[in-house]
Amino acid sequence: MRNYLLVICLFCSGLVLAQDKVITGKITSSDDGSVLPGVSVLIKGTSVGTTSNVDGSYSITAAGSGSTLVFSFVGMNTIEVAVGSQSVINVALVNNLTELSEVVVTGYSTQKRAEFTGSASTIKGRGIAERPVQSFGQGLTGQAAGVNITQPNGLLNNPPVIRVRGLSSLSLSSFPLVVVDGIPIATDNISGNATTNNPLGDINPSDIESIDILKDAASAAIYGSRAAAGVLLITTKRGKTGNAKVSIDSWAGISNAVRVPKVLNAQQYMDHKNGAIANALLLNPNAIAPTARDDQNRSFLPTYNADGSMVDTDWADFIFRTAFSQNHNVSLTGGSEKTSYYFSAGLTDQDGFLRANSFQRRSARLNMDHKATSWLRLTFNINYNNSMNKAPASGSNPGGAFGSSGLGRLAMAQIPNLPAYNADGSYNVEGNAIGRKSNLLPAQFSNPAVLIDLDKNSSENNRLISNLGAEIRLMEGLMAKTTYSWDRRNTEDIRFWNPINGDGFSTQGDAYNRYQRADNWNWINTLSYNKSIAQKHNIGVVLGSDVQKRRNTYWGAERQGLADFFFTDFQGNFGTNLAAGNSISQVAYEAYLGSVSYNYSGKYFLSANYRRDGNSALSADNRWGNFGGVSAGWTISEEGFFKGSSLSNVMTSLRLKASWGRVGNGNLSSAYGSYSTFSSSLYGAAPTLAFNQAGNRDLKWETSDQTNIGLDVSFLNDRITLEANYYNKDINNLILDVPQAPSKGIPGNSILSNVGSMYNKGMELAITAVPVNKGSFSWTTNLNFSTNKNMVTSLVDDNTPILTNTSGLEATNITKVGYSAAQVYGVKTAGVNPENGRRIFVKTDGTQVQYQHLGGANAWTFMNGTATTSPSNQQQILGNTLPTWYGGFNNTLKYGNFDLGINFTFSGGNYIYNGSRAGLLDQRIWNNSVEILNAWKTPGQVTNIPRAVYSDNISNGSSFLISENLEKGDFLRLQTATLGYRFPTSVFGKTGITGLRLYAQVNNAFLWTKYSGVDPEISTNGDSNLASGIERNSIPQARAFTFGLNLSF
Amino acid sequence: MSRIKISTVALALVMSVSSCSESFLEAVPELDLSDASVFETPARVLSQVNGLYGSVKNGNFLGGRYPIYNDIRGEEFVNRTTNSVTGFSVYQGNPDPADTYVAAFWNQGYLSINRVNLFLEGLAANTGKIDATLATNYGGEAKFIRALTYFSLVQIFAKPYALDNGASPGLPLRLKGETTAAGSVLARSTVAQIYDQILKDLNEAETALPDTYATPLLRTTRAHKNTAIALKTRVLLAKRDFAGVITEGAKIVSAAAPFKSPNRVAHELQADVVSVFRAPYTSVESIFSFPMADTNAPGTQNQIGFYFNFGNAEYFLNNSGAGILADKTWSATDDRRTKLTTLNATYGNLVTKFSNVSPFVDYVPSIRYAETLLNVAEAEAEAGSLTRARAILEAVRKRSDAAYQFGTLDKAGLIAAILTERRIELLAEGFRANDVLRRAQPLNSFGAGTLIQPTSANYVFGIPTTEQQTNPGL
Repeated sequence: MRNYLLVICLFCSGLVLAQDKVITGKITSSDDGSVLPGVSVLIKGTSVGTTSNVDGSYSITAAGSGSTLVFSFVGMNTIEVAVGSQSVINVALVNNLTELSEVVVTGYSTQKRAEFTGSASTIKGRGIAERPVQSFGQGLTGQAAGVNITQPNGLLNNPPVIRVRGLSSLSLSSFPLVVVDGIPIATDNISGNATTNNPLGDINPSDIESIDILKDAASAAIYGSRAAAGVLLITTKRGKTGNAKVSIDSWAGISNAVRVPKVLNAQQYMDHKNGAIANALLLNPNAIAPTARDDQNRSFLPTYNADGSMVDTDWADFIFRTAFSQNHNVSLTGGSEKTSYYFSAGLTDQDGFLRANSFQRRSARLNMDHKATSWLRLTFNINYNNSMNKAPASGSNPGGAFGSSGLGRLAMAQIPNLPAYNADGSYNVEGNAIGRKSNLLPAQFSNPAVLIDLDKNSSENNRLISNLGAEIRLMEGLMAKTTYSWDRRNTEDIRFWNPINGDGFSTQGDAYNRYQRADNWNWINTLSYNKSIAQKHNIGVVLGSDVQKRRNTYWGAERQGLADFFFTDFQGNFGTNLAAGNSISQVAYEAYLGSVSYNYSGKYFLSANYRRDGNSALSADNRWGNFGGVSAGWTISEEGFFKGSSLSNVMTSLRLKASWGRVGNGNLSSAYGSYSTFSSSLYGAAPTLAFNQAGNRDLKWETSDQTNIGLDVSFLNDRITLEANYYNKDINNLILDVPQAPSKGIPGNSILSNVGSMYNKGMELAITAVPVNKGSFSWTTNLNFSTNKNMVTSLVDDNTPILTNTSGLEATNITKVGYSAAQVYGVKTAGVNPENGRRIFVKTDGTQVQYQHLGGANAWTFMNGTATTSPSNQQQILGNTLPTWYGGFNNTLKYGNFDLGINFTFSGGNYIYNGSRAGLLDQRIWNNSVEILNAWKTPGQVTNIPRAVYSDNISNGSSFLISENLEKGDFLRLQTATLGYRFPTSVFGKTGITGLRLYAQVNNAFLWTKYSGVDPEISTNGDSNLASGIERNSIPQARAFTFGLNLSF
Repeated sequence: MSRIKISTVALALVMSVSSCSESFLEAVPELDLSDASVFETPARVLSQVNGLYGSVKNGNFLGGRYPIYNDIRGEEFVNRTTNSVTGFSVYQGNPDPADTYVAAFWNQGYLSINRVNLFLEGLAANTGKIDATLATNYGGEAKFIRALTYFSLVQIFAKPYALDNGASPGLPLRLKGETTAAGSVLARSTVAQIYDQILKDLNEAETALPDTYATPLLRTTRAHKNTAIALKTRVLLAKRDFAGVITEGAKIVSAAAPFKSPNRVAHELQADVVSVFRAPYTSVESIFSFPMADTNAPGTQNQIGFYFNFGNAEYFLNNSGAGILADKTWSATDDRRTKLTTLNATYGNLVTKFSNVSPFVDYVPSIRYAETLLNVAEAEAEAGSLTRARAILEAVRKRSDAAYQFGTLDKAGLIAAILTERRIELLAEGFRANDVLRRAQPLNSFGAGTLIQPTSANYVFGIPTTEQQTNPGL
């Protein structure tokens, strides 16, 4: 074809006049510098043109210096260059980010974006692979409209919280369905100990070609019961016909903790705490035992080092470090006409800024396609990897916030006038805490040195994900496709707690190992038919079935009481052996699906899909559900009246689309929620049976009705494109752990039931533009902005809210009708009484009361001094925790061989409960933030920190949540800044190297926020729907600097 | 292979039910038993009975925190670790209705009550599945457990009976099994009504229970007739029904020294008080105890030895002021001082009654003959024979301190001496706060540094927030 065109062009050129000059040049991709064959080169205003050769070069005879060349290519922005006096014009084409011409991977098929009537975002894998992340999800922040991502904290491989168009459920998972090359895979944190193990970390980001995020029901409904929270479709790289190409991608870098709270040093600590003790003794002579204070009533006294200096330990410095990480990936791709292949091997070795925290992954992938006959095509994917997660107890994994061995907390709260080691180098310990040295009161928290050195937590995956597929062309337009996928993960969780200090102290050493075997298979069969009638009527039909079974078995044991402290492993000798971590669960899904799409002349689009879904986790009578969606689109710009209008000179395309659909949510938290059961245990040595679950035999589908109305418009030859969507997700029959009056004695005080409803509404806007595109200099920019309004419209009844705890201890959140889910719930405060330095609390009726710690019968008084009772049950709704707006602003600038990427993310409209601040101001033996220096001292003093009374755990919010620690969570972050340089191909000579790019990147470069905690992007409770927006003792986020290279042969 | 054949195969693949049988979507729990099967065999019914004991034995309830929290509310202990997870707020007299661990008393208590109710209903619905005598015995055990549970709850979540003869709001009285979402709303019955139900259950249990069991272990860890009677002396004492205490006491306490049970199991004090708290924990002094084992321990931060002994020494003994350790009437040579407490340089004075640290397998005594004796002595001193009261008091004291002389004691002095004896004898066994409250006296909270008056809101624990929010009938 290309030769044929060339012949025409040559023929044409023979006709032009002799004064014309010959222009030559080379056309490359600005993305990776590779040459672009087949690019159309046209002299503007004429039909004279050519296309580039296999090596990207072209030659054209232009009609004098006044003419302009137009370079255009599928998937790239068109560029125009005035000839002027030049005779050599080299151009670099910029990728067209809007990809209107590209395909969208939807359920069970692909569609051209121009014909797609649903709502989906496509993200290229490349940018993610360059980032120092453990799983691809962390790299999606700010990349797609309608997709909000929160990294809970800086613990490596902590699963990000991903929300597509808001919260999709209350009790069931709101994490989107993740489908890798066709197979849905598990997403929760699977670690059995203090590490976090995100199973998505098993997918090497370098292997990802693209990620399609299906957001509305019309696109996602084909995944029926699985799609309520949206769908992330991961497509891995595949081979291309052509010579073998080798790519090497590497990066290495360092990371540090940022925004670590500033706490008192040793001298400040002693002065402050002794002052608080003096205040306490005035109120209660028993506050400190006489033996725990000296003759001046001081309990905290300096300890000196051998060199005479005072011990002053910066525990954050001790617990955090500058960490080194590296990542390498090699891939080989190529193929013949019949067979193509992609092979890659990856190694990543990342250390966290938290000592003893690391992540390693070794992976290999082979993807092959083979055209066996003209009608049979086979695909094979095989991916094997080993991921090793290691972490100390950090208090930063979900459920771990209050651990007294959590290093995130110890970095802030450990006593600064104590050393980690004794003068002889041994650990400074006393009982289960750090040794008190000169202090007269004993410490409470463990010695971090012991925990870092001697405790072990790891969670290691060995995983095989494989697919085998066949595509059979039965007749023109009719394809049968079958894919069998198998995902097998074996995980070994290892935990060892040392007997000297920490969680293993009371058991004299404790080893807990657990083995997980997760087996997941999926078989999909589809028949698809595409037919074009009279070149106007285009019809597509898909029919299929999808069955999947997941079976997880866990077994383990816990061993306690080390026979000798010599042993540091489970395999050593212990006194007590216990069964631990044993469970079996199984879920099966079965579905039948069909979809029809029709378009007329590329102008009018209609599609419908239907799916019947069965789920073993629902009750026998209700386990089948019917789901589906319809959508329509109108491409106005294809109409004759539009093409003839003057508008078409500016506006390249204009399209309206709308969709409605219903999907289900089958991600039940329990595989057996419909059964009433008795569990077996022991009473002494006698076996027992006890009622342990009240099942609901009527448990049925939770459904989500989703409406999407959208507008796609582009201007100036697609140089500016805009996509806007309005969405409304109406979620009904919410499956809730409906709270039961505890006095009923229902196990867990809840029964899974279908009650309640909720909606998410919002707008999404994505603008992509190429403001500058001049040969050597280009700037592409993408701004996406989304809003979300979540509202719970019904629960069991209006007066029965759902209360949620943080780490099972502190009541922090409430979900109530008429509010968005997971509001912060606590007692209002109104500053500090300047007269006496007491914290003022506000009851629900507005009455103010004040608190005097150790005040006995007068601990709680009205402002006039008369005694009253604790306002701890006077909680009010304090603020929403779900962001109401968020987005990203992504820019790529290219100049010559340099490229500069600057990506911002922003989010806001939400509140965060800064529970860590409650701890940092707690008046027990814990260290305090420097903020405590503002504590009230003299009558009349106006301050927001109450008078410090030793052991006061109420005034600052440790005992029950107070509004004093509620803060706004708005922020703007410079997420990544990347500067790259691509070496010109001329320097490689005959080395065989075809491309080399070096880059430097900074992640989490800057953060603009008024939030005073470690980071406004935080989630101590991980992926929890009902306890979001809480910071409690979590470690901060990292800032990372990396250097990388992309090398190809 | 023709296209037609391929088409047929492909169509068959898609259209067949993907070779899925009806059972493909069946996934039943593999590690828990269906509620429909738990009365199928006599062994399972027995397992359910043991499950009822196991339910109240839970470390968050009677097997751990319940007795611990009763001890740390008073004047005997000083907190060492300021940890809210190990009772610091309760110690300071500030327990919040939202406090997870106080709520756990309520939750685990009512879970146990519901399990009892379901069991009694199941027993009635499955007659013939097990031997009739055994069914009667099991019913008695269930009622004993329900009585013990209601009594444990009413003492901490409601104003004492003594304050107003039980007129205060008590607890929601749940006597029917609950398995569905219906019926959350239920008002509180009065304290007196709860006491009536407790005594009704105990009287019925006394009739239904066996005289004893085949082994000392079973006789200590499961209820028999004397167990129900012993608990009745405790309940009636709290109700200030002193005549009732004396009547019930007569069934298991002989009229004169040496005091021992004349009926069925011959309960009596052991010569060496220490032996009661050491393996095998099954002497006749231990009327009812919760067994512990490596594989059935109280759980993290629930173990008495973790709180009061070297486990973690969360609380040490108050050796000054009002603390019992500083009481001059507790002589330095008393076995209970010399052998059941110790002075540690790091931690201070510790109780060593619960001597095991990891694994914490000391049995937790729930009803001990020494307590029953002191119940009877107190009733006799209040409303019966001062002579017998004194004789019982001396029996308890002289077992540990043979040389001790009480001297002259009038009625008030005798009652005071008996109450002091309880503090010494029952130290760290979970009696302190309940002993103060049942007499409607102010609670001398060392942690709060003040007396907590009966009129004060924090004299008893508030109804947990979760109950308040789900049961508007309260």
